[in-house]
Amino acid sequence: MTEAEALEWIAELFEESSDAIQADTPRDDVPAWDSLGVLSLIAALDQRCGIVLSGEEIEKMTRIDDILEVLRVNKKLE
Amino acid sequence: MPFTKTRSAIIKAITSCVPPKQFDNMKDATEFNIEEVKKVVRMAGVEQRYMANDSICSSDLCLAAAKDVMSSLGWKNDTIDLLIFVTQSQDYFLPSNACLIHRDLNLPASCAAFDVGLGCSGYPYGVWLASMILQSPGFKRALLLHGETPTRFSSNTDRAVALLFGDAGSATAIEANESDNEGDEWVFSVHTDGTGYSDLIIRGGGFRDRFPNDRKSCFVHMNGANIFNFTIKSVPKLVDDTLEGAGLTRDEIDYFILHQSNRFIMSHLAKKIGIPSEKLPLTITKFGSAGGPSVPLTVVNGGLKRPTDKPLKLLMLGYGVGLSWGSALVDLSPEAVLSHLVLNTIN
Repeated sequence: MTEAEALEWIAELFEESSDAIQADTPRDDVPAWDSLGVLSLIAALDQRCGIVLSGEEIEKMTRIDDILEVLRVNKKLE
Repeated sequence: MPFTKTRSAIIKAITSCVPPKQFDNMKDATEFNIEEVKKVVRMAGVEQRYMANDSICSSDLCLAAAKDVMSSLGWKNDTIDLLIFVTQSQDYFLPSNACLIHRDLNLPASCAAFDVGLGCSGYPYGVWLASMILQSPGFKRALLLHGETPTRFSSNTDRAVALLFGDAGSATAIEANESDNEGDEWVFSVHTDGTGYSDLIIRGGGFRDRFPNDRKSCFVHMNGANIFNFTIKSVPKLVDDTLEGAGLTRDEIDYFILHQSNRFIMSHLAKKIGIPSEKLPLTITKFGSAGGPSVPLTVVNGGLKRPTDKPLKLLMLGYGVGLSWGSALVDLSPEAVLSHLVLNTIN
């Protein structure tokens, strides 16, 4: 997917409008990215991209770009 | 080892038992605001659960269940050869719960009785142990008891666990198979990863920290993200290994009985493994996550359709604290007696 599509997908996952989710948006600005949101993120990465990260890697994420980086490293971004 | 086998035994009866106090998350969870509660209920699926008070222990729930299976089968106390009690919420550090039950059921001195310290994976492990021991000469009847009271070791203000847990006990009566039918086997797959020991842990109160200054350390701590990751990695392979061991396909399994950890996690696993929803009984809505005993609780209360002319093939899966995970692929005959009771605290 493209970066724009990825941002759209992440916005949907966290039930936010697409303009509220940008690469530099910090985790603290995304209310749904809490302990339950982390589970949704883990499930979504696994289901859509076949990516399974460790809990530690997930915890280290502090902004949206960290999710994009995971997609980049796993060659899921065009 | 990806899988192992035992000669099949016979599950004669299973009784599950819950405490009388019913807790409705939407109405009774006053420690959290309603929006938060709704969110957790929507995701984890726990609408209500049953909670032990300060005086009800896993032994009480399992004793009632054990009496029920013995009475429904007409099993006399002096015919029990083996009692296994699987729990991580035992009454005392010592002696074992198995010895307390041995006293309460007035079992004979010839009965082997011991506890097994496993949680979420406890039921498949317990069935594996019982079926192995029942292959030994002299062992004919076993009681496998599995009970936990997780609401008593979780803080009611810890968002990660407070709305999730329910308490339950169970008793499974298993008999050695003395027929000449050599073809029948049960298949198991049992695993451990101790590096994840701190992902689900009660740090205080044991001998590592006997009298902790911070009382909170006597409550369970759960790293939900790590546990979820572990289940995603381990459970699909657990299913594949067990089916390979049995030479069966997913279609040939009547029901997949998953440890009722969290509805969201179970649904994700089901999709990933390819389990259709009609083969995945869910009891978490009504009982919460009762730890390992959620497996027998779901066999009894999961609305299983039971044909009268052939046994059900059940693939039971437990995974969590340890980290420990295991499967048991067993038959449940049409004659097996399943019942559920609410603990009567008046007597």
